[in-house]
Amino acid sequence: MVSGSTDLPGAGSSMESAPAVDLRNITKRFGAVTACDQIDLALTRGRIHGILGENGAGKSTLMKILIGLVLPDEGSITIDGEATQIHSPLAAAELGIGMVHQHFSLVDPLTVWENVALGDAGRLDPNAIRNRIGNIADQYGLRIEPDARVGDLTAGLRQRVEIIKCLRRDPSIVIFDEPTSVLTPEESVQLFASLRQVVADEGRAVVLVSHKLDEVLHATDDITIMRQGKVVDRLLAADADAPTLARGMVGRDVSLRSERAALGVLAVDDPPVDHVLAQPDGTPVLEILGATAHAPDGRAVLNNFSLKLHAGEIVGIAGVEGNGQRELGDLLSSLISLDAGSVVVDGHKITPGRSGAMARAGVGVIPEDRHDSGIVLDMSLAENLILVDQSAVAPKGFIDHGALEAHANAMIEQFDIQCSGPHAPMWSLSGGNQQRVVLARELSQQPKVLVAAQPTRGLDVGAIEYMSDRLRAAADDGVAVLLISSELEEILDMSHRIVVMHAGRLVGEMPRADVDLERLGLMMGGATV
Amino acid sequence: MSAGTAHRQNSRLREWIFFYILSIIAALVLSAILVEATGGDWRPVMNALLDGSLRRPGRWGETLGTAAPMLLVALGTIISSKAGLINIGQEGQLFVGAAFATYFGFLLGGPGPLNVVLILIFGAVGGAAWAGVAALLKFWRNVPEVLSTLLLVTVGGQLVAYGLSQPWLLLAPLADRGNRNQVSTQLADDNRLPRPEIFGNEVPSAVFIAIALAAVVSVLLARTTWGFRLRMLGRNPRAAQRSGVGQTRYGAAALLLSGAFAGVAGAAMLAGGGFAFGNYQLVPGFSANIGWTGLLVALVAREKALVAIPVAFVFASLRTGSSFVGATGVEGRITDVIQGFLVLALLVPPAVMFLRERQRARAAATERV
Repeated sequence: MVSGSTDLPGAGSSMESAPAVDLRNITKRFGAVTACDQIDLALTRGRIHGILGENGAGKSTLMKILIGLVLPDEGSITIDGEATQIHSPLAAAELGIGMVHQHFSLVDPLTVWENVALGDAGRLDPNAIRNRIGNIADQYGLRIEPDARVGDLTAGLRQRVEIIKCLRRDPSIVIFDEPTSVLTPEESVQLFASLRQVVADEGRAVVLVSHKLDEVLHATDDITIMRQGKVVDRLLAADADAPTLARGMVGRDVSLRSERAALGVLAVDDPPVDHVLAQPDGTPVLEILGATAHAPDGRAVLNNFSLKLHAGEIVGIAGVEGNGQRELGDLLSSLISLDAGSVVVDGHKITPGRSGAMARAGVGVIPEDRHDSGIVLDMSLAENLILVDQSAVAPKGFIDHGALEAHANAMIEQFDIQCSGPHAPMWSLSGGNQQRVVLARELSQQPKVLVAAQPTRGLDVGAIEYMSDRLRAAADDGVAVLLISSELEEILDMSHRIVVMHAGRLVGEMPRADVDLERLGLMMGGATV
Repeated sequence: MSAGTAHRQNSRLREWIFFYILSIIAALVLSAILVEATGGDWRPVMNALLDGSLRRPGRWGETLGTAAPMLLVALGTIISSKAGLINIGQEGQLFVGAAFATYFGFLLGGPGPLNVVLILIFGAVGGAAWAGVAALLKFWRNVPEVLSTLLLVTVGGQLVAYGLSQPWLLLAPLADRGNRNQVSTQLADDNRLPRPEIFGNEVPSAVFIAIALAAVVSVLLARTTWGFRLRMLGRNPRAAQRSGVGQTRYGAAALLLSGAFAGVAGAAMLAGGGFAFGNYQLVPGFSANIGWTGLLVALVAREKALVAIPVAFVFASLRTGSSFVGATGVEGRITDVIQGFLVLALLVPPAVMFLRERQRARAAATERV
C-alpha cells in the first residue's frame, strides 16, 4: 500500500494522478452544529496539502475523521481507489495513515527509543529499534540520539521523536496538526525542509493543518481553506497570495494589524507607528530582580530572571513554550514563591507566594489557563467578577446581592459578555466569554501592571482583535502590560519592547523598532547574541 | 426570567421529586423484603419505627433531642466541605469536646446558667483542638486531613478513656460513682440545658441552639465575604490563592470551626441529657455514633445547612424508632441495614441528577461550539 503508485509527480502533473485519499461529501454534526458540512478533499501523493482555517473551522474534526477518532455522519472515504470506513485509529494505521499531533504524547522519563517502541506488541528488540531510528534520521535529516531522555529534549526535538514515531510505521499519508506552535522560527524552517523530503523521496501524501497563513503559503503545494465547517476555496499555493487566503479564511477583507498577526502574517519591516514609545521615565512599576525558582525535580524553572516594566509600555515575552513563561505568570499571580530574588511593584517589595499579595499590590493577571487560576467554574458569573476584591459589593462583610447584580450587569454590558444573566454559572459560558469575564475583572481593579499570558489562545479572529485593542487601551491608560505569548506574530504586533526567555533565563532584549527576526529566532533557541 | 427558564426549572423540580419518591419506595420495599426474609413481619416493624420515633407520648421530643447533635455535627461538616476539606473525624472531635466540657465544667464550677454556656464553649474548644491537630498536620506537614481526622477518632477515644480512669482528670470521686468505673461526676441540676415541655413532650433546648446555628451557618456561607472566600477555596484553590484566600488561613479556620461544631454537639449531649445520651455524665462510648451519623446528614443534605435540619430529623427518627423494633422480635441490627438502605435512597437521586445535568451541559456545550 505504501508505494503502490510510484508515479512521483512533478509539480503540476499531480492533479491528474489518482488521489491517495478521496473524501467526498463528509458531514459531521455535533448537536445543532455542523462541524463538517459536505466536505470534499483529495490528497495526492508527492504533494503537501495545506488545510487552512480559524479555530473552530472544522479542520480538526475532518482530520479526526481521517484517523478514525470521529465517525462521519455522511460521506465516503476512498483510499487508493478503494472505498473504506475508518472506525478506529488502529484501522487508520493499517490503512497507512499517521498523524503527528499538536500535543505530544511522550513519556518524559523514558529514552527516545523507548518512546518510539511504546505500544509495540511482542518481544522488544532495542537494537532493531535504535537502527530503525538511525535509518529514519539519516533519510530525513531528523538527527536524534536514541538513548537521550525525552524529558531533557527541547520541544523541537520532542516533536522530532513524534515524527519518527509516526514515520517508523511507514505511513503513506501523514497528517501534521499545527506543528509549528512549539517550535522556534528556525526549527520550523528545518521541519518544513524535512517535510518536503518526506514527500519528494517517498511519494507520500502530506497534510499540514494550520491557522498560520505564511506557513501554508510557503510550505505547501495545494491549499484548502475552511470556514465554519465548509470548504470555501481550493487553490494552488503557487497561485495564492496572503490577502486572498486571509479573505477566504475570515470571510472578509482583513486590514487590521492585530488580525494579520492572528493569521500568522509577520510584518517585521513595518513597525507600527504608534509603537514608538517616548522613553519611559526612570521608575519602573514592576521590577523583578534575579528571580530563581526550582521545579520539584530540582530543575531551575526561573533562573536569575530580571525584568523592569514601566507605566504605559507593552513588553512582550517571546520564547518557545515551556521555558519559564508559565512560572513567570505564576510568580505574578502569587502562586509560587522564589528560592532567590525579589519582586517590587510600584516601589513596594512584594513577598512572592503570599496569597493575594500580587493582586493587592496592583498586578492584574489574565492567566495562560483561565480554568487553572483565572475563574471558578462552579460559581456564578457575578461571583467570578469579585474573586479578588469584594469590598465594592460587601462593604461590611455582608454581600449585597443587589449591588453584586448591578456590578455584574455593568460589566456584562461594558465588556459585551454573552451570557444568560449575572447568575449564569461560569461553566455555561463559552471560552471567549469566560476570557472576557477575566478581562473585565482584572481591568476593573485598575491594575498598575497587567500580565496577559497567551491572552488570545483559542479565540477567533474577532475576539483576538477585541482582546488586543483592550490591552493597547490599557497601556495607553498608563498600565504596564506584560504580554507572554508563544505566538511571535502577536508579540511583534503588540509590544514596544521584546524580551526573550529560554530555560528560565532572559537571553536577550530589544526594542520593537530594532527587531531582527533571525536574531530573535536564535535567541528563542537559547543562543545569546 | 423567561417562560422557558421557569418551565425548565419546574420540570427539573418534578424530576427531583420523582427520583426521591422512587428511590425511597425502593428502599422501603427492600427493607420489607429483608424483614420478611429474616423471619419477621414487616408491618409491626414499620409500626414500631413510627411509634418509637413519633407516635408514642414523649417520643418526638426524644427524636428532636437526638436530631440536635446530629445537626450540629452536620453543620460543621458542611463548613469544612465548602472549603474543600474532608473532615470525617467528628466522632472523635465530639468525644474530646464532651471531655473538655466535663473537665472544665467541674473545674470552673461557676453559677449554674453561666456554667452551661461555659460548658458549651469548652465543648467547642475541645472539638476545635482535636480538629486542630489534623489542621496542624495538614498545613505544616501536608498530611491529608481525610486520614488524620479519621485516625484521630481512635486516638481521641483512647485519650478520653484514660481520662475517665484517672481521678485527677475525669473520673468521679468514689462517693459519686458507687462501684462503677470510668464515669465522670453527674452535672448538677443547674448546670444542665433546660428541657421545656411543649405539647406533652420534653424538648431539649439544644434543638433551638442547633436550628439557630443552622440559620447562622446558612447566612455565613451564602451572604458573607468570609463564606464567599471559603467557597472559592473549595472550588478552585489556585484561583483562591491568587485572590488572597490563603489555604492555610482559611482552610485551617474551616477545619477548626468544623471541629468546634462537633465539640458543641458533644457538650450539648452532655448538658442536654435525654434517654439517648445517658445521664449528664461522661462514659466510654458516650459519642454513640452521633459523629458518624452527622457526617451522613451533611452528605445527604448536600452541603446545605437548612436542608440538614429535616435530614437530621429523619436520621434521628430512625434511631429513636429502632429502639422500639427490638420488641417486635426482629433482630435489632436490621434497623441499621434499613438505615443504610434509606441513606442510599437519599444519596442516589442527587448522583443521578448530577449525571443528567452534566449530560445536558455537555449537549449544550457542543451545540455552542
